[in-house]
Amino acid sequence: MKNKLALGKRELNTAQVTLRFRLIRTAISLLLGLAVAFLLILWVSDNPMRDMSNLLVGPLSNTHRIAVLVNMFVPLLFTGTAVSLMFSAGQINLAAEGAFFSGAVVGTCVALIPGIPFVLHFLLCALAAAISGAFFTGIPALMNAKFKVMTVVSSLMINYVALFAGLYIILNIVRDPTAGFEASYKFQKSAQLPVLIPGTTIHVGLIIGFLMVFLGWFIQYKTGFGYQYRTIGKNPRFAKFSGIPVASTLVAVQMLGGAIAGIGGATEVLSLYDRFSYGGLTNHGWDGIMMAVLARNNPKYIPLAALFLAYIRTSADVLNRTSQVPTEVVNIVQAVIIIFIAAERFLYGWEHRSIVKLSEQRLEAQNEQLQEQ
Amino acid sequence: MQDLLRVIFSYGFLSSVFRMATPLIFVALAALIGSKADVLCIAYEGIMLFAAFGGVIGSAYAHSLTVGLLSGFLMGLILTAIFAYFVLYLNAEPMIVGLALNIFGSAGTVFGLFLFTGSKSSSSTLASLTFPAVQIPLIKDIPVLGDILSGHNLLTYLAFVAVGVVYFLVFRTALGLRIRSVGEAPHAAESLGINVKRTKFIALMISGLLASLGGMFMSMAYLPNFSRDMISGRGFIGIAAQNLGGGRPLLTMIWTLGFGAADALGNTAQSFRLPSQFAQMTPYLVTLIGLVLMSVSVKKRSQKKLLAKGEKA
Repeated sequence: MKNKLALGKRELNTAQVTLRFRLIRTAISLLLGLAVAFLLILWVSDNPMRDMSNLLVGPLSNTHRIAVLVNMFVPLLFTGTAVSLMFSAGQINLAAEGAFFSGAVVGTCVALIPGIPFVLHFLLCALAAAISGAFFTGIPALMNAKFKVMTVVSSLMINYVALFAGLYIILNIVRDPTAGFEASYKFQKSAQLPVLIPGTTIHVGLIIGFLMVFLGWFIQYKTGFGYQYRTIGKNPRFAKFSGIPVASTLVAVQMLGGAIAGIGGATEVLSLYDRFSYGGLTNHGWDGIMMAVLARNNPKYIPLAALFLAYIRTSADVLNRTSQVPTEVVNIVQAVIIIFIAAERFLYGWEHRSIVKLSEQRLEAQNEQLQEQ
Repeated sequence: MQDLLRVIFSYGFLSSVFRMATPLIFVALAALIGSKADVLCIAYEGIMLFAAFGGVIGSAYAHSLTVGLLSGFLMGLILTAIFAYFVLYLNAEPMIVGLALNIFGSAGTVFGLFLFTGSKSSSSTLASLTFPAVQIPLIKDIPVLGDILSGHNLLTYLAFVAVGVVYFLVFRTALGLRIRSVGEAPHAAESLGINVKRTKFIALMISGLLASLGGMFMSMAYLPNFSRDMISGRGFIGIAAQNLGGGRPLLTMIWTLGFGAADALGNTAQSFRLPSQFAQMTPYLVTLIGLVLMSVSVKKRSQKKLLAKGEKA
């Protein structure tokens, strides 16, 4: 009976309409964001045409800028994947920020040890960074599992603990007094990541980033563990009654997320710099949250989201160098985009009407068939 | 060490505790009202920044503290209203809207600062006004008590008054009852004819008003001008204090005083050449430990309640 109900054109069901509207909403949010950027540029710029074209195509105008774009893109792959995993499990753990920072600090410490062969040295740095990252996202997870402490609050607090503990290590234990500024000793050459494309600053971290995205996607959608934590994310009670060990699965996935973010921190410092010189949190964890929101917690889409964010960041960088437009314009745009994508009922009227229309068409078709019979 | 203890038990230290705690009290009370209405708002950082900025701009251009206060409120409430509208009427995830608005608050105020002053770091070129310090007659003449209790900023006193006001509002008025009912049992409230969304909206606006006061304290009392990202995590600490206080205004206030003390201690420790990072870390560590202790005690209490009920039955 059902397959006789073809409506002539390809049939859509309600879920597909919803999906289509998600895409439309994302596209409109991006356009809105760009419109805001144009307005702000028009407001402050003395040469709006030049600045707008810089915003749109500036990042692609020479190889140096493309390299900047790629280098901004790389850390977002790590934190975006990390946050996607934790959010898929329904856990609002905001400690990716601290995990990334601690990974950078711990990676630095290991990178100072002399006499370890190339490749192995970086792997050791990454391992140490992963452990420290897992530690910082794991604590809020454990506090929630054991004591029902709200993860949002505890993970926010742990970020600052990671920050100050890290700064203590850098400024008191491994500080290079001859550097002339607050920074660690120089990394051993054997720990630093080599350049991938000669003549640019694009480095091997790009490959590691994509590996992490793949790993995240694979775990989330192709393993039993991924299925378990996604089930918990959708319906914790159902998960519990179907025998999934909720508490330990949640702690595990959050530690995994922290580990990925931690490796990201180590990769970042060991590829772009020759010593640790961050003075505060780097915001990569918060960016990771934006990635996860844009990608709807699916690591598969993280590269796309990261490309977008890295692109507008590079635009901002270009604007900052070539005009008096403040870089903050891009952060404003970023906020506008997130907020509209998050607004589930934005364009709801339109979506609702489409679904109603679809159902009406179906009913009509059904009635006609019944009459024929 | 003895020097450090002497500083801690000095009048100056106690009065700096009140000073550091003022913005925290406001934002913790804001978070308290939000939590009573069962809306998790993490946008207080952005709201406070907006209010701090609005207050400075308003008072600098109108040469009037009242106008400054009003424009601070207005800016804070605009951001709160955006939050409330997206969360309540467009079904957006509160966490994500809050995150976006914090980014917006930080970037928007820096952008505004650049427009008004040409600087992206501080408003020190603007002649903005500050809230006055208040000498309490009679009390200021009492030897020890006078040094501790008198001479604080107007907003500091207002913060302590606000604790009482919020308590009264939440537990003693019809509006407070409605706010609590939409927070605890929205369906039941709806069945009694309470407009759930509107009540939550009102609760959020009150909460935005309180957070705005906290923001204005930062730029018009704590410091005499606005500087970028000057809230630096205070909004989050306020949320933590609210959590630790378990929805009770007085307990929440006590926790914020604890944070104020930790802040003040951090400033003092730095002058004694202790590693400043440990001092700066203290408030956050204290929060984490406090959160665990609180939840343990809540658990015990609820177990006791269950046991008591069991005995009766």
